Amino acid sequence: MRRTRIASAIVVLAMIATAFTGCAGSNGASQPDDAIRIGAVLSLTGPYAGLGEPERRAIELEVERINAEGGVNGREVEVLFEDDGTDEARAVAAASRLIEQEGVVALIGASGTGQSMAMRQEAERGGVAQVSLAGGSVITDQFNPWVFQTPWPNRVVVPFILGEMRAAGVERLALIADSGGYGKDGRDATMAVIDRFGMEVVADEQFNRGDTDMTGQLTKIRSAEPDAILMWAAGAEAATILKNHDSLTGMDVLPVYGGPGNARVELLEGAGSAAEGFQLAAGHILVPEAYGPGTEAYEVATGFIGRFTDRYGVAPDIFAGHAYDAIHLLVDAMRRLPEEFTSSDLRDELERTEGFVAVGGTFTFTPTDHNGLSEDDLSFYRVVDGTWALAGEAR
Amino acid sequence: MGTTELLQFALAGLKNGSIYALVALGFTLVYAATGVINFAQGEFYMLGGMLSVWAYADLGLPLPLAALVGVAATALVGIVFELTAIRQRKDGDPLALIIITVGGSMLLSSLARHLFGPNERALPLFSGGGNVSVAGAVLEVQTIWIVGITAVSVAGLWYLYNRTALGRAMRACAVNRDAARIVGIDTRLMVTVSFVLAATLGALAGLAVTPLTQTAFDVGPSVGIKGFAAAILGGLGNPIAAVVGGLVLGMLESLSIAFISSTYKDAIALIVLLGVLFVRPQGLLGRSGREKV
Repeated sequence: MRRTRIASAIVVLAMIATAFTGCAGSNGASQPDDAIRIGAVLSLTGPYAGLGEPERRAIELEVERINAEGGVNGREVEVLFEDDGTDEARAVAAASRLIEQEGVVALIGASGTGQSMAMRQEAERGGVAQVSLAGGSVITDQFNPWVFQTPWPNRVVVPFILGEMRAAGVERLALIADSGGYGKDGRDATMAVIDRFGMEVVADEQFNRGDTDMTGQLTKIRSAEPDAILMWAAGAEAATILKNHDSLTGMDVLPVYGGPGNARVELLEGAGSAAEGFQLAAGHILVPEAYGPGTEAYEVATGFIGRFTDRYGVAPDIFAGHAYDAIHLLVDAMRRLPEEFTSSDLRDELERTEGFVAVGGTFTFTPTDHNGLSEDDLSFYRVVDGTWALAGEAR
Repeated sequence: MGTTELLQFALAGLKNGSIYALVALGFTLVYAATGVINFAQGEFYMLGGMLSVWAYADLGLPLPLAALVGVAATALVGIVFELTAIRQRKDGDPLALIIITVGGSMLLSSLARHLFGPNERALPLFSGGGNVSVAGAVLEVQTIWIVGITAVSVAGLWYLYNRTALGRAMRACAVNRDAARIVGIDTRLMVTVSFVLAATLGALAGLAVTPLTQTAFDVGPSVGIKGFAAAILGGLGNPIAAVVGGLVLGMLESLSIAFISSTYKDAIALIVLLGVLFVRPQGLLGRSGREKV
């Protein structure tokens, strides 16, 4: 009895000792000789697993290549993945663990807007840069010096889509939006600038994740007699909307528009012929010609698309592209730094990124703009014969 | 609002209501046999769609066969779940069993996530595309399938309950388990049968909806909650009440979109549910608890 008590005391002491050494090693500084550690908080399970999985694949693929080419200033890059389960609290816990126990110099993530916003307090507290892969405008609108963002935020996407719709003669607009983060952000961003385009929102409908039928909302939209429908839906519900809409369509064709969240193969498969004619704004990655053949951006993107397709048997989607951008922005900043640097040096250097050509676009960060993308980085697509096609000239 | 639009809303309500009804039936059957709410019911709905997609897309079976495989495999999961998780709890403590079903729900959806991936997957429409016009309103052919499957299931269940020895044994078990055992009914077998039926009904709902909505590993809980609400609204333990509850809930949601707001449709449906339970705690068609004793 007594012996076991002593033994357990020793075990406890040993655990405390390791815990302390763990803390001692994580002062946020990156020492030479050992690998540079970066943390990635992604939604590998839960509703956003469809985003997190391609993101993880892109990061693994690119880190392997970066290390095969000699790493960063002779040091290996190691990315530690944590799953947030599409849950804010778990994202916070994961970020805190990565900073305090693993001593990462920067964080990538999260996949979703809510999780990204939740974990930023940890990034700020730990003094490490956070590069979010989520598209909500709030991430960089509610500015935080430690937080960066690789997708096109809705404040860039919305004016681009509305401009295209206006050019197509749309004046009366109907909205159908996911009641969750992405849909709400897109809806709010649309409402904020709609007047500037001389357009009017005649129907404003919402749905919840997991809803199995949207004919109710669509019937109400049709009775408001809009010129077009703009949908903010990132999940499987987008395909349901297109299908229900297609079956309600009689003689009059009411065009449907969407955003980057709809640029998923699952939408094309799920909606089938109902997706024909659906128009959306997304990055150039869907049809690489949009980058302009021969340009540096075209080479970067087609190189990535080729490697990703070779390894995984599927073409990368926009989410894989956002992850590519995040890891390469960090690596590019670290290459500009001396061999030994702190996480705060990395943040400062990341902010000095200028004209970095990546998959989502060409990034230029400033002390007040931590996204740095513009409408030039977007293309307008139309679904033709079950695949994406450029709708007219890419702007 | 014109009559055509009103009819369109009614059709949407009927379609959603039929799905809720099938899921609610599953809740009610298990409740009748065990006195327990089976929180894994939503996962049977998910598995019905997911396993059919697996049989169709991954095994390459023709659609009718794939649908059969999907539903049969889900029924099998129902049996295995009952035998390995529910039956092991010998004392039948309801609280423990409910927690077991919550755990089972998490287990099933995580397994589906790892076996079939995180993305939504599609199934073709049962009889191609196309719509039927009903007095100017549009009715998707798939909706006819959904409503038809619900109607046939309810009729089958009615026959089973009222015209077969097995059904009579199940009803006896629902009324009083101890008395049923005394007269020689294998009450454990009845519990297994109720799980098989619940899994089959859930799977049929999931299968019928997947061509319209696609399916994914995480679709179970939201539909499960709707089905649970429908079962409560109608009155737990009574199959007809479950169907009525499902249809009423579907119509309520559809009408709140039509006349109030799509933003609050779930909230409105729940407020009505609470209102009904306030006046009739046993549900719309439920017998009061006192009668049971």
